[in-house]
Amino acid sequence: MKHPPPPRLLPMLGLLLAGFAHADSPDRPTGGSIAYVLTNMSWAMQSTPGAAECPKGLNEGTREQFKQLFPDNGTKRSFESTQLRREIDGFHPTIAAEPFVYREGEGPVAPGLDLDGIAGPEDFRSPDGHGGIDNQMHRVLGCTANYRGPDGPIRFFEDEMVLRENYNRVVVQLGGVDSLKDDDAVEVRIFRGRDKVLVDAGGLKAVPGGTQRVDLRRGANYIREMHGRISGGVLRTEPVDLLYPWDVFYFPSDQYMYKARLELTLAPTAATGLIGGYVDIETWYLHMIRNWSTHYQSYGNSSAPSIYKAMRRLADAEPDSQTGRNRAISGALATVFTQVNIIEPDPAEYAEALTRRRIAAPYRGMPAERDPAEEQFELPASTPAVAAANGGSR
Amino acid sequence: MARFRLLPRYRQPWLVFMLALGALLAGESAATAPSVPAVAAVLPEAAASQARMRLLSQEQFFNSLGYVFGPDIAISSHFAPFRRTDGLLASGAAAAGVTIGQMQEFQRTAGAIATAVVSPANRGFLVPCSPRHEDAADARCAARFLVPVARLLHRRAPTREQQAALVATAGEAADRLHDFHAGLGVALEGLLLSPETLFMIERSEPDPSHPGLRRLDGYSLASRLSFFLWNASPDEELLKSAERGELHDAKGLSRTLDRMLASPRLETGVRAFFDDLLRFDDLAVLAKDPAIYPAFSGETVEDAREQTLRTIVDHLLVRQRDYRDLFTTRDTFISPALAVLYGVPAPPGWTPYTSPPDSQRVGLLTQISFLAVHAHPGRSSATLRGKGLREKLLCQQVPRAPPNVDFSIVENPDSTLRTAREKLSAHRSNPICAGCHKITDPIGLALEHFDGAGQYRETEKGAPIDASGTLDGKAFEDVPGLASVLRDNPLLPACLVKRVYSYGTGGPATPADKPVLAWLGEHFAEDGYRLPDLLRTIATSQPFSMVTDPAVATAAGSAAPAVATSAAAGAAAGARR
Repeated sequence: MKHPPPPRLLPMLGLLLAGFAHADSPDRPTGGSIAYVLTNMSWAMQSTPGAAECPKGLNEGTREQFKQLFPDNGTKRSFESTQLRREIDGFHPTIAAEPFVYREGEGPVAPGLDLDGIAGPEDFRSPDGHGGIDNQMHRVLGCTANYRGPDGPIRFFEDEMVLRENYNRVVVQLGGVDSLKDDDAVEVRIFRGRDKVLVDAGGLKAVPGGTQRVDLRRGANYIREMHGRISGGVLRTEPVDLLYPWDVFYFPSDQYMYKARLELTLAPTAATGLIGGYVDIETWYLHMIRNWSTHYQSYGNSSAPSIYKAMRRLADAEPDSQTGRNRAISGALATVFTQVNIIEPDPAEYAEALTRRRIAAPYRGMPAERDPAEEQFELPASTPAVAAANGGSR
Repeated sequence: MARFRLLPRYRQPWLVFMLALGALLAGESAATAPSVPAVAAVLPEAAASQARMRLLSQEQFFNSLGYVFGPDIAISSHFAPFRRTDGLLASGAAAAGVTIGQMQEFQRTAGAIATAVVSPANRGFLVPCSPRHEDAADARCAARFLVPVARLLHRRAPTREQQAALVATAGEAADRLHDFHAGLGVALEGLLLSPETLFMIERSEPDPSHPGLRRLDGYSLASRLSFFLWNASPDEELLKSAERGELHDAKGLSRTLDRMLASPRLETGVRAFFDDLLRFDDLAVLAKDPAIYPAFSGETVEDAREQTLRTIVDHLLVRQRDYRDLFTTRDTFISPALAVLYGVPAPPGWTPYTSPPDSQRVGLLTQISFLAVHAHPGRSSATLRGKGLREKLLCQQVPRAPPNVDFSIVENPDSTLRTAREKLSAHRSNPICAGCHKITDPIGLALEHFDGAGQYRETEKGAPIDASGTLDGKAFEDVPGLASVLRDNPLLPACLVKRVYSYGTGGPATPADKPVLAWLGEHFAEDGYRLPDLLRTIATSQPFSMVTDPAVATAAGSAAPAVATSAAAGAAAGARR
């Protein structure tokens, strides 16, 4: 193969190639370049119809927890000490133990990537038989109806918004591609696009052949460049820290994944597969609590404070330098990308945008974290005692 | 059905029908088929066109209102389309009937416009005065508004009797409704509904420079010029030119044409003509099978039309290039909805686009507006494309297929024949079919590199596509070759001349027009096939202003209708049933 051009030269090359994005053979994109726009995304987890991965059942949500905490037994309570207090527990979560059972997704099978090259005791086996899968997010969300496939409410909406919201326009562009089947060195660029996704006459299905411009003005932070290789039609990239947009219901927000890597099966019109890495918990949770109010949490039995505690409890990466507690959790995104043509930016403007780029998790939690002692749970005597074994952090 | 009289001298409906039919057939006859004269053409001394009475199209009606009241006075309305006559909807305007249903639509539209114009939100700048009492008639203020408006809507100055009738109508309605502006609205509604507004009535007068012959009077010539070049009523300046007699003076007419051809409104007129010529009304009902062509949407249809019209305006008006080069140019404009079919990127909006030199995408024939319209919902059609080219661009008539034709060979999805060429070759083995397919398929097969949505393809069902063919004896190997042969076909500019002349004079060309068309064709060639020059040549030509059928003028002139209220217009419609 020819040595691929360095990423910084891709824009210039792309200018020359604009208008030739169609493949001249099924395996080789014309000009050695092809791009895909993200059109579907959801958290990768095992969701069998019988919920075999949830032998203890599915989680209860915020509505059920509220009833346990504040049973309708004639006790007079203030708004501040009930609804508002639970909102505070959601917006200012702590790792304090809570008296509710949290049901984790269990193994042995879960989709995902082997992020650390180690087959540990908590790792899963992928549906196609690969071991060492790191996906603690499956444990966190796998038994919560809101996130389970195929149509958990939050899962459905988050997936739908990928297509509908321009804010979420993630594009993966490959350069120096000799073959979509096998190429041991390709250049990969991820950026945010500026344009609507082309859809069919029904308005819901993405159609290949659309156009995307590179968002340099507000999208510099999303730009990533990395190396990858294609083997057997599957692209695998080296890990990078990835910032990706995920607006839901017109509420822009971003998520952050450490050491993220792509594993996508490539075709001339689409790319499908996983983005795996370590999810920054605070950033993820900010997205969740801002976008999914108690109203939406009640749709599918999820409880924000409980999810936060589970994430912190099951976190497996990025230990905090002071506390030693992990701040990130392994996970994977199941994605579908659709082929798209790129209008390359001016090279000088692109270079300037890179100087403004900030590669760091955008949110580090509240300046002063809430004292776990403030989060008190007093279940009425009539409530069956539940184990406090969920408490504490790793 | 209430039928307005078409040509005032012919009052019998059957005679009107026969005349209209005769004109239609004559338009397609060999007698007026475009041809290139072997010797220098001479304009006959008495060359003239017909004076006509034409119903305004919806676009002409609203374009005219836009000038009078501003573009914000826009009402959702649906005027019935004309019958396409000799290739043009515009040529059907002189043979249009008005049904009761259409009259109701006119009345609904007129009422809504009148209400909007005199509404509290708009009266401050559309009505030039305030009444002495808001709840009573004010003849002076009513006249200040109604008389200039009547002049613009009727495209001629109202007589004193007409002015008085208008003001009286407004006053009577104001007193009855106890609202000056409501009264004004009633009078305006009547104005908008009057035959003088809805119809372009051409009147003639003796031509002093050609004794015994007649010419359009100044107002009628102004209207003919304005609808020809701007697809709208004359503006104030053009009406003044008509009143000063300048349009019958060579220098005055030249000055007027300088202004009209330089006006941005010329683009509106040119767009309207090509919209008609290329039958873009077909796009309104165009749909593709989304399972086969998922990227073809309603947006694609809209943009396909706009792409071709932008290309035409840029090529013919902005750059003032050779008309024939429209079919070989690689320059166009592209939008995201079209880019997906072109397989190229495009930012939002419209962007200039030049197809690569080795691309098969060249000229108007390879634009989506031609390729997708002349195709089936789920596959291409070499026959429809060949037919479309001959009829729209060469003014030829391809007969309809017989009703009992067997399409099984071309429509069988499981056929062992893979390409359209193979299927049509088999189809032509039927001698009944062969006659027409011989004149359509060799052209259409050249465009088989484009599927039913207009997307380029190298192969069809795995078989290579042979794009070679012939057009009127000229052979070509590929799409650019077809474009080149078409570009050099003398019928191409001759057809345009015929259509533009018909469009300008308001009706299909007749056998008597053949010398005129030949003469215009020669001038078009001498001028480098530039459209603005052709428009000027036609507009200044003798037959554009000189007319036959003096009875139209005398009858219409003596029976010039009083300015009608809506009630009067309705009565007029009833009287002419």
